[in-house]
Amino acid sequence: MQIISTIITILVISLNVNAQDSLATKDDIGEVQATLEYMNETLTDIKNFVDVIRKIKWSGYIQTQYQYADEAGISSFAGGSFPTNVNSRFQVRRGRIKFVYDQEITQYVLQVDITQNGVGIKDAYAMIRDPWIRTFSLTGGVFDRPFGFEISHSSGMRETPERSRLFQTLFPGERELGVKLEATSEEGVFSFINIRAGLFNGVLPNANENDSNKDFIGKIGFKIPVAEHNLSIDGGLSVYLGKVTSTSKYIHTFDAQATIPKFHIDSSITNIGKSFNRNYFGADFQLYYEIQQIGGMSIRSEFITGKQPGSETSNSFYYPTSTDKTPKLYHRNFYGWYVGYVQNIGLSNQFVIKYDVLDPNSDVVGDDIGKIGTNLTTADIKYSTLGFGWVYHWDMNVKFMIYYDIVKNEKVNATATGTLVDFKNDLKDNVLTLRMQYLF
Amino acid sequence: MFKNIIIFLVILTFGFMLPGETITVKGSDTMVIFGQRLAEEYMKKNPNVSIQVTGGGSGTGISALINGTTDLCNSSRPMKKSEREKLKQRYATLGVEIKVAKDGLSIFVNESNPLEEITLEQLKKIYTGKITNWKELGGKDARIILYSRENNSGTYVYFKDYVLEGDDFAPFAQNMPGTAAVVNAVAKDEKGIGYGGVAYGKGVKFLKVKADPKSPAFEPTPENIKSGDYPISRFLYIYTRTKPTGEIKKYIDWILSDEGQSIITSVGYFPIR
Repeated sequence: MQIISTIITILVISLNVNAQDSLATKDDIGEVQATLEYMNETLTDIKNFVDVIRKIKWSGYIQTQYQYADEAGISSFAGGSFPTNVNSRFQVRRGRIKFVYDQEITQYVLQVDITQNGVGIKDAYAMIRDPWIRTFSLTGGVFDRPFGFEISHSSGMRETPERSRLFQTLFPGERELGVKLEATSEEGVFSFINIRAGLFNGVLPNANENDSNKDFIGKIGFKIPVAEHNLSIDGGLSVYLGKVTSTSKYIHTFDAQATIPKFHIDSSITNIGKSFNRNYFGADFQLYYEIQQIGGMSIRSEFITGKQPGSETSNSFYYPTSTDKTPKLYHRNFYGWYVGYVQNIGLSNQFVIKYDVLDPNSDVVGDDIGKIGTNLTTADIKYSTLGFGWVYHWDMNVKFMIYYDIVKNEKVNATATGTLVDFKNDLKDNVLTLRMQYLF
Repeated sequence: MFKNIIIFLVILTFGFMLPGETITVKGSDTMVIFGQRLAEEYMKKNPNVSIQVTGGGSGTGISALINGTTDLCNSSRPMKKSEREKLKQRYATLGVEIKVAKDGLSIFVNESNPLEEITLEQLKKIYTGKITNWKELGGKDARIILYSRENNSGTYVYFKDYVLEGDDFAPFAQNMPGTAAVVNAVAKDEKGIGYGGVAYGKGVKFLKVKADPKSPAFEPTPENIKSGDYPISRFLYIYTRTKPTGEIKKYIDWILSDEGQSIITSVGYFPIR
């Protein structure tokens, strides 16, 4: 723009000089004026075009990694399960490109993920901010579910390779189709409070709905900076109130009061088309503090409990697929939590350690699983993961990460048979991740 | 495997923590003038220290602070909540804000313009496109040409927030890459109007500014800015990621000393104390 302005200024001056030197006639002056007007119009057109282009911001990152697992073919939450006979692999874990068209009051966002598995849409939404008090915004499309902290903590910024097992199970893909209202203020008393709430389909963005139920997700959060002590205390309470609709007549509800705690099976034909609760309640907390001479540290923790309608083999939420159109519905009480510590060391290094737990059926212990008649499955087994690693920021674009996950599963009853047999001992499913990320 | 991992971590920790004596300063174009003067004087006194000062706008400087490509950020506006949030997520710090000077935001027109004073309300109407002719302000019958700054400028943000009260600039406002460019444009354009730091206003005519139609009009003089009578004044800031230590702390302490503040005064800005 500066170059264009300079060129035009030089042209204008030279035209003026030429006009004076030649004692211009009225026709000459008119010609010069017409030329100037034409150039002015051209400049305005260019400016308008450049202004539009400048409103489009694009960013992205690619994460390429090598992973080594204890055994071949393990089931893993560290970037997906390993194929049969494979215990090491190269992956493009994420390849994101994000386009934002920002008009300040309105915003359009499209983010795609391009990896060896193909192209997928991550975000596709429009947002409108209120122009009067600049506190409210309305978002519609595919975007992060407004629950807890870890969902909205960008994968490009996160110090661990993956989100916790808890979030991967409850909120696979993090995004959902729906509409959200957000209230947050830049200044004033309410600048410490953030409220987000919305209605969502309740399935994965790329999955088909099988009912008209809409799920409510909401969070009330706070951020309290104490600048004089280099401290910030953030947190929030979240709720998910949803329903799933069974396509099977087999509904398994857990009877914890029975002599032998077990799943009670209801096979009434009227169960088909019936809705069942999918309710989560969560609390999250983050503390940031600067340790002088070393760097900032953070402690982040989250706890979620609730009722999860899953299937026989999965404790993720219930939804029929094209390959299994009538999965049996298992209703489980669950809880999960994580706590993570990140220590910045200077400008470029970060040490991270994290521990997470998911108990997908909090009514049983490991020894119950596998007993005859309980109908408990691998989806009822509790897991914990201790991860630790190091992040090195090479420059503003490139960072390297080394991270090791130690995964522990609950040991099932010694009499267990079938698919449960492997879980009589801790599985060999630890994973080492070496990752390079380029962010722009 | 554990042993190898620990060796790797030790190499990373100690291999990449080499200290340096170069301080990089990036950000506000408004603050480039005194930023460079301060750096020159400090380097004369401390020849072992190298200070590199560049502009680009407050937004650019804050981005550089977040990206880790500058040690200090000059900013002519306070850091936004969203920017602090980015800093927090990357470094687990809130950033440290240091007020280093005060500045009056002058409103200037071409020297041939007969207008002498203007109210904040008129300014808002001019820059939002509601007043488009000098005749409406008692001047000549001529279209007002608006010169503004790009949106990465702290001066732009301050003007938008404080004078326009958050409203958008008129779409026909011409965005210039720096305050010096705004001054040059207005100096050559008898229909032009611009805004910028007082220190840049050479070759143009300052307008007196009234807070409202009934208030007296004040020139952006040192006395009026220091007393708070001039209605458009602001603080100028330096930001760091973490609490300053070592050479960076020494440099900031020196800026806030009488010697540093006198240099700031000598280039047309106003001391913090």
